[in-house]
Amino acid sequence: MKSIPDKDILLFRSCLVSVEYPGVEASTKFVFDKLGIDYAISDKQTCCTGLGHYSDVFDQVDTSAIGARNFRIAKDLNRPNLVMMCATCYAINKKSVKLLNKKDDLRDHINRLFEDNDLEHLKYEKDDLKPTENIFHVVDILYNKISEIPDHIKYDLSEYKIASHHGCHYCKVHYEDTIAGFRDPNIIDELIEACGCKTIGWYDHKRATCGTGFRQRYSNPDLSFTATADKMNALCDEEVEIVVHLCPNCHIQFDRYQPLISKREGREFKAIHLNIAQFIAIAMGGDFDKVIGVKAHTTPIDSVIKELKEVSK
Amino acid sequence: MTSKQNIDDSPIDFAEQIIRDVKNSKEDGVLKCVQCGMCTSTCPAARHSDYNPRDIIERVLDGDVSILDDDLIWNCFYCYTCHSVCPVGNSVCEVNQILKQIAISNEKGYDKLYEYMGFADSYFTAAIGAIPEIFFDDIDRDVPGWRDFRNSLGEIREELELDPPLMPSKEVIDEVSKILTITGFKAKIEKIRASQEVEK
Repeated sequence: MKSIPDKDILLFRSCLVSVEYPGVEASTKFVFDKLGIDYAISDKQTCCTGLGHYSDVFDQVDTSAIGARNFRIAKDLNRPNLVMMCATCYAINKKSVKLLNKKDDLRDHINRLFEDNDLEHLKYEKDDLKPTENIFHVVDILYNKISEIPDHIKYDLSEYKIASHHGCHYCKVHYEDTIAGFRDPNIIDELIEACGCKTIGWYDHKRATCGTGFRQRYSNPDLSFTATADKMNALCDEEVEIVVHLCPNCHIQFDRYQPLISKREGREFKAIHLNIAQFIAIAMGGDFDKVIGVKAHTTPIDSVIKELKEVSK
Repeated sequence: MTSKQNIDDSPIDFAEQIIRDVKNSKEDGVLKCVQCGMCTSTCPAARHSDYNPRDIIERVLDGDVSILDDDLIWNCFYCYTCHSVCPVGNSVCEVNQILKQIAISNEKGYDKLYEYMGFADSYFTAAIGAIPEIFFDDIDRDVPGWRDFRNSLGEIREELELDPPLMPSKEVIDEVSKILTITGFKAKIEKIRASQEVEK
């Protein structure tokens, strides 16, 4: 397995986490603190451009120039390990690092723009960061501490029927760096097992997209929601109660649009949707309002998790 | 020598333009396509629409630039499933993104981008990629309680003791705005907006 850090981490803020599921950020911090991860958040870091990039509004030069600025912030803080809560931030930043290292013309072009416009302090030098050694998703950091997770588990969630949904932009874009499989993705399942639970494992459409498709959700909703329904029907067939995610955009598609897709399909989908950091934080005793942020969820968390049972020591 | 001969015999200027594109990370993967159809068999857009990734590569290798005007290219989910299963290391998903950028640089597809101008605007006002407000009414119709939730976001974040706050400093917003001006992004956005508002 690739080498994964537990220190010198810049926890990269995500636009969707910040405004849609802020409890994902609070839960990540809660779990990182329990596991002794050394991280910081910067008020200077900005979005990765991902939503605009995959809506075709931002081109690669725009995205990589914004990336270079964020990478400089990480370097200046001596926190060269960028850790993302969002799969799209992860894919976008890893690609920008790859391209800035490999494509001299792109790097020179962006650096020249910086030099000519009094932004020399943002210049990116070849190999300032390395895509595999410095760019991670939160699940990578958690996986590196997987043997320590059981020591902190307070509540037993094993009675629920649980399935994982692995975000495409974690698993499929830079698949050479994906831990625990990208054709049969299992990193979330393994982290859930570390909490003393079993997932249902493979199910029909397990590796399929959430259906968001960036512009598809808004401009082509029939296409988007039909793709999501493939997966929701498969999860309903398995009577899944908790679906665990790693990407806020997938989370929106499943949690926010579940009532609408239920109506479209004429079938009641009842699963709740949690990010893996939220799931682990619940198992570790995080408060539902002060850590998990359940008020941000459309499908109420207490429609499934009605009470918590302490693990027997 | 055989492959060089094949390359010389094919109308591959279009494919070579894609290979040279800054976004391309698969080197000459597009030239290695054997039309096996693995991409199409796993593609969610192909499953539910007439979008066909195998066909896209065939048309690119045929030098068929009319594909830039084909509405179907806008159906890709950017899920990278094709990219992750291609047995010869091609990525239709990346080729698709490059096709769209070529189309946009030829002033095509502006109508498709217009609704997404909010993603650009929010960078100049808040250095964040916010969901464009133009979609808020649709979201409120489709997602029960969404606007109420958004109105209480500040309280929810406060309860979670999240720091730093959502809005970056003016210094950060100014620096990001400057970057997006010198890359030519701002001028492009103004041009797209002007073209659509004239048509209206």
